[in-house]
Amino acid sequence: MAEPILKLESITRTFSDGRFVQRVLRDVNLAFFTGELTIIAGPSGSGKTTLLSIMGLILQPTEGRVSLRGRDVTDVAEEEAATLRLHNFGFVFQTPTEIPALPVIENVLVAHGVQGAKIPAALRARAGELLEQFGLADYAHSLPRALSTGQKQRLAIVRALLNDPGLLLCDEPTSALDAENSEVVLETLRSLAHEESRGVVLVTHDPRVMPYGDRVVELEHGTVTADSREGKPS
Amino acid sequence: MRSVIAYRMLWYDRVATAGSILGVVAILFLVGQQLSTMFGLFTFMSVLVDHSGADMWVVSKETKNANAVGPLPERYVDRLIGLAEVEWAEPIIMTAGQTRRPDGKYEGVMIVGLPAPRLQGGPWAFTQGSLADLLDYEGVTVDSGDLDLFGNPQVGDILEINRMRVRVAGITHKAQGFGGTLVFTNRTRARDIADLPADTCSYILVKLRPGADPRAALARMREVVPRADVIPTGRLSATTRAFYIINTGIGGSFGTTTLISSLVGIVIVMLTMYTSVLSREKDFAVLRALGGRKRDLFVIVLYQGLMIAAAGIFVGFFLFALFLYGTRDTALPTYVPPWFPFVHAAFTLVLCLAGSFVAIRRATRVEPATAFR
Repeated sequence: MAEPILKLESITRTFSDGRFVQRVLRDVNLAFFTGELTIIAGPSGSGKTTLLSIMGLILQPTEGRVSLRGRDVTDVAEEEAATLRLHNFGFVFQTPTEIPALPVIENVLVAHGVQGAKIPAALRARAGELLEQFGLADYAHSLPRALSTGQKQRLAIVRALLNDPGLLLCDEPTSALDAENSEVVLETLRSLAHEESRGVVLVTHDPRVMPYGDRVVELEHGTVTADSREGKPS
Repeated sequence: MRSVIAYRMLWYDRVATAGSILGVVAILFLVGQQLSTMFGLFTFMSVLVDHSGADMWVVSKETKNANAVGPLPERYVDRLIGLAEVEWAEPIIMTAGQTRRPDGKYEGVMIVGLPAPRLQGGPWAFTQGSLADLLDYEGVTVDSGDLDLFGNPQVGDILEINRMRVRVAGITHKAQGFGGTLVFTNRTRARDIADLPADTCSYILVKLRPGADPRAALARMREVVPRADVIPTGRLSATTRAFYIINTGIGGSFGTTTLISSLVGIVIVMLTMYTSVLSREKDFAVLRALGGRKRDLFVIVLYQGLMIAAAGIFVGFFLFALFLYGTRDTALPTYVPPWFPFVHAAFTLVLCLAGSFVAIRRATRVEPATAFR
């Protein structure tokens, strides 16, 4: 079996307000592979977004280990976690998260330049190609307010792909879209997994999304209750 | 790219950015206006000292203010001239007087009597006439800024000072005093107007020979006139200004206004930048989630602070220059030392960056996880 791009072992996450401790994730064991679209499904409050945040090195687990391409990254410092995010993950958020002040092309390039790196001409060309591929080339120099919600979500996907990440982490990317746009986005994510051999993880509570997944993980009360993948690690 | 992000965000939030720039303009213009006026008054305070052309001043003991000196024996001049280090020594008379205006009202003046033929320590810029015109026994100068006090006389007109006749021999430019309206004349006429004894003067100007050691000369002069103070010109200028700043409340007044102007500006910058960051919190969270480090957000907001400072300093200096131009020939004294624009720009920049600190703090505390909400 191929080595997982990301591996979660015995992940537990608690939040505390000083008086009460809430256990959001309990003993989660999952591995994610390239070429596969994984859907993490569960009702609201089941811990899906927290799990996605831990996968994306945005949150640290209270207990357990996170391995990225075989390297233990559980306790990396905040600064290093940011750099690992930049080079390994692409994020598509629940609601469009374009930066309204930046033109569409710069909203894409920001994924590379946020740490101050210069934008090479080749990367600028790649951003242009991706915008072309996703039907946004005409808007490259417009502000995002010119885009529809569906176009903004496609812009988010373009931005997520700019650095050629191994793993795309998507938090309910279709929740703000109509059925037609949802289908476009989901087909796109599936083709990214299959044709470009990326790992795609999609968190949702929408049952209409399930058919697009190669694998469905069900999360309830912070615990994995089902994993359609053979040899599930939990 | 971070500078581009910073600029785009500022441009997008133009109203907030304009508010921040306004804060910087307020600092630069108000502080500049206050300090240039204070510097203008400084030049008035020590105007006689600064334009005396002397290296040393011999004044009565315990003199703290060049405009308020006690009488000196004029024989000190002979003792000073006898020193090898001294090129010349000139006794000057300075005395208060009153001029009667054409409307019958009286106006206080400060009469400065200059010894012929050198007329050293006299007015330095004329709009009409020249220094040599003061060799005329009745000749006096009045300043172009004080003409209305004398009923707007022309050269050749007769005035009355201390009930004695004088004739306007020249009109000076920017030869105005802080303590009173300056009227220059020759020493003989000044002595007659003030009815002073022939063997006294107010202060003695001393010029050292080229190459003379100022320290040694100072020590030798103090030996020959032990009952007087010998003070280098630069030090007397500073002492005179300090006297007015401390004893008249000018320093406290201008200092308070400058402080308040700075505080108002910094608070405007602080609030507008902070509000702007608050409204962009989601954007900063997204930047963090995409891979931006805290220091990247620090740099972005810092760039914004610098850009706001640059724009504010530019606009502020433009308005300040207009103010200086508009007041150049008015009674409002303004003076900008050559070093002031640089120091003022640096001061404003520091205040602006201090004002952006709260916004920086807020931006760097944004949690990337909030991008998921």
